[in-house]
Amino acid sequence: MNNQKPPYGELETKMKEAEELIHALRTQQVDAIVGERHVMLVRLKQAEESLKSSRNQLRALATYLLSVRESERTVIARELHDEFGQALTSLQLGLSWISRKLTPEQRPLQEKIRSLSATTTSLIRSVKNIASELRPGVLDELGLVKTLKSEAREFQGHTGVQCRFKTNTAKAKFDHSAAVAIFRIVQAGLTNVARHARASRALITLMKKKNGLILTVMDNGKGITRKLVYSRDSLGITGMRERALALGGTFTLGGSRSKGTMLTVRIPLSRIIVGTAFSSPRATLSSPDSR
Amino acid sequence: MKARKRERRRSAKPGGESYVFRLFVAGNESNSSQARGNLARLCEEHIKGRYKIDTVDVLKDAAAAHKNNVLVTPTLILIRPLPKVTVLGNLNDTRQVLAALRLNGDEG
Repeated sequence: MNNQKPPYGELETKMKEAEELIHALRTQQVDAIVGERHVMLVRLKQAEESLKSSRNQLRALATYLLSVRESERTVIARELHDEFGQALTSLQLGLSWISRKLTPEQRPLQEKIRSLSATTTSLIRSVKNIASELRPGVLDELGLVKTLKSEAREFQGHTGVQCRFKTNTAKAKFDHSAAVAIFRIVQAGLTNVARHARASRALITLMKKKNGLILTVMDNGKGITRKLVYSRDSLGITGMRERALALGGTFTLGGSRSKGTMLTVRIPLSRIIVGTAFSSPRATLSSPDSR
Repeated sequence: MKARKRERRRSAKPGGESYVFRLFVAGNESNSSQARGNLARLCEEHIKGRYKIDTVDVLKDAAAAHKNNVLVTPTLILIRPLPKVTVLGNLNDTRQVLAALRLNGDEG
């Protein structure tokens, strides 16, 4: 009995051959499958490489476009503030000079001047707001953390949604373009909260952890569907994802009706922190209510 | 002593047994080109002057592949010495290919 050939010998050989074939296919070492009449070329490796290359090119283009947009915004904001803002201020000064020169008998003219002056003041405020939205001056002057605090406060003021900001990075110095990207992600996240979430509370956190910087924007609203997260029409979400990827980070967005929506961005510290001065690990909490 | 033994083995068998290979490739596709190059290099390094490679391009002769039960390219068949051995893939893994072709102890 012991000298008998194993009954499944042939089957074992076939199995081994099949395993080798699967291995060759899996490791992309096959470039043609031979049939009885036809030969089918397999170009998985090339297709994958070409797809990877296209994806990298697209990502580079997206990053470039984002940087171009930021520079253009900066230029427009500066022009608006310096040129247009200055001209409007001169106009207002001129109007007030004329107003002082008018006699009490010229009342209709005085009324007109007052009205024009009010319009000019309103225009100056609008120009400031537009310039600030295009390029938040506070980001350049005060840094990311204070800008986010201010953003949370303004968001609460505009929408009535209670918004808090929590961080342990108060003294960190951020790379400028990274700071702009993080700020824009928060802006877009809050815009989504205001537009879609139907939330009563929102929380922004920016925390330094061992393996990177973690930014979250969460709310207690109606949540978001998976379909919407990956929809081609969700341009705001695509923009946030591209900004996070451009910093070598990851972007996740999810939520449910009971838990609201949570946006998380993880970025390697090496890509964003310029200075190493960090506040104590305990987070500082900033709420517009407490101000 | 050990070194001398190894040296003796390396320079041995100038007129050892000869090898016949049949390599099935698909034109100049990436893996096929690599397999061609790898096989030629291995033969030159290990059995110089004692091998014959018969290359079959399945894009020109699919029937030959079918006749030899070749399902994919690149496929290398060691025809002689027997027993026949079939190796799939681009032959990049030198150590495994030499072992499969029973060439790991045979230096030319």
